[in-house]
Amino acid sequence: METGSANPQSSLTNRLNLGWLGRMLSSSVGRKFVMGVTGLLLCGFLIGHLAGNLLLFGGPEAFDAYATWIHNQEFLPLIELGLLLLFLAHIYLAVVVTIENRAARSKRYAVKHSKQAGMPPLPPHNWMFVSGAIVLGFVLLHLADLRIGLRPDLAFPEWDEHHPRMYEMTVAVLSNPLSRVVYIIGTIFLGLHLSHGAASAFRSLGWDHPKYTPTIRLMSWLFAIVIGVGFCSLPILIPELAAVAPPEAKIVTPAEP
Amino acid sequence: MIAPAKSGLNLTLKVWRQSNREASGEFKTYELSNISTDMSFLEMLDVLNQQLISRGEEPVAFDHDCREGICGMCGVMINGQPHGPDRNVTTCQLHMRRFRDGDTIVIEPWRAEAFPVLRDLVVDRTSFDRIIQQGGFVSVNTGSAPEANSLPVPRVKQERAMDAAACIGCGACVAACKNASAMLFVSAKVSHLSHLPQGGGERASRVLGMIGQMDREGFGACTNTGECEAACPANISLWNIAVLNREYIRASLASNVQ
Ligand code: HEM
Ligand code: FES
Repeated sequence: METGSANPQSSLTNRLNLGWLGRMLSSSVGRKFVMGVTGLLLCGFLIGHLAGNLLLFGGPEAFDAYATWIHNQEFLPLIELGLLLLFLAHIYLAVVVTIENRAARSKRYAVKHSKQAGMPPLPPHNWMFVSGAIVLGFVLLHLADLRIGLRPDLAFPEWDEHHPRMYEMTVAVLSNPLSRVVYIIGTIFLGLHLSHGAASAFRSLGWDHPKYTPTIRLMSWLFAIVIGVGFCSLPILIPELAAVAPPEAKIVTPAEP
Repeated sequence: MIAPAKSGLNLTLKVWRQSNREASGEFKTYELSNISTDMSFLEMLDVLNQQLISRGEEPVAFDHDCREGICGMCGVMINGQPHGPDRNVTTCQLHMRRFRDGDTIVIEPWRAEAFPVLRDLVVDRTSFDRIIQQGGFVSVNTGSAPEANSLPVPRVKQERAMDAAACIGCGACVAACKNASAMLFVSAKVSHLSHLPQGGGERASRVLGMIGQMDREGFGACTNTGECEAACPANISLWNIAVLNREYIRASLASNVQ
């Protein structure tokens, strides 16, 4: 028992009576709860992000209008900060939980087979950390490409405040061989991550019920397929479509300021 | 003239041998011939041990007690599956007719940090007992059987509690799980007690205590792979794990248990 601890941190948690929070966040069940919440919130972001990105199929005007609108939103930095925190929490817990899970069985079986009927040879639930790490690699390159602009090797069109030529920039990125391959692989593994993660999160939150679970499972599967196929279609198809109809032809040069 | 007895199975066994907790252990190969298909798996091990004893070797240590699927003592890994290939049975209920002549059978103890091997196929499962000591009981004395109508229990709750109470604590869920997680075991106990009026009063302290001990014992977390449910000889449903998560979150966020 902590009696009269001189540690200022523990006295603060004592004064705020936050011991329960510390206990929850250091327990296996509490951590999986937070993983589930962060994972599902990230899934919510994916829906919005995919919906916006599919406008790439609508051509430069549609996509640039959307891009201009979203970049002018005042709440955007707030959303970005939230996403960053969700990501960091999810990844931190993924590392901690995976290390502890591995430590729980340091000596492996010589032979191990599933007793579940119809298990594929490498079910996604057995390598969530690997699929997550591949997604992370893809996300880092994606941020470097389009958010921070760390790729001097990409031929970006000149930036113009009044006309952010996001369509051209995105096509340039998606046409880059490195990005194109990494994006295709990354989005496929995102779909695989979600093929287990989306339904799993509901059980981690304690949401499992004969009334809802069959629907949750089906919707989670469809969700994983829509997200995986939807995002993956962009690096595969957009460079081909843009090559057929080069965007330059459609862009009206903005008036001189 | 007596007809020759129908010959039984010829088997190759690869059995984990480990002389004590600290020893490193290794697989030893044994040949068995003419094993009757009517034998149970444990009887087959009895035959092996008889042969080892008559050769002056140490018999294979394995846990067993009731030999009728009730006590939960007899779990071993058989060809990589807890309690062998059949669903909803324990090792003692597995019969040799499930195997073919010439088969090789690999027999390993449960492997988990929280279940150290004591000898050969015997593991120390007292970590389960220590989890139970943290709340897997009802602390009020419920006395002798009460008048049936004085404490109504809805049928649905009674059924769920009974289903969860079927857990025999064998540890197959831990053995099957890639994270050596004890969630199915703990969830069965929590679900069993917390659904009943006698156990409902302590539901928050029970779940917090039992999960705390489960973590301290070094069991892993739940990835929701479903391996535990498939390996469970008592047919405990994964649904209980969702109940456990719910109970834990409720106890953490919305109870006054410190
Ligand atoms: C857009 C990105 C991501 C989304 C939408 C996402 C979503 C999810 C969801 C919904 C779950 C299920 C949570 C649960 O079972 O309660 C999950 C689990 C997991 N995620 Fe992610 N994730 C993402 C990125 C990552 C990254 C970058 C990593 C890190 C390397 C990662 C590692 C994991 C691991 C290891 C699990 C399984 C934990 C376990 O049950 O053992 N994820 N993810
Ligand atoms: S020996 Fe009792 S359950 Fe198998």
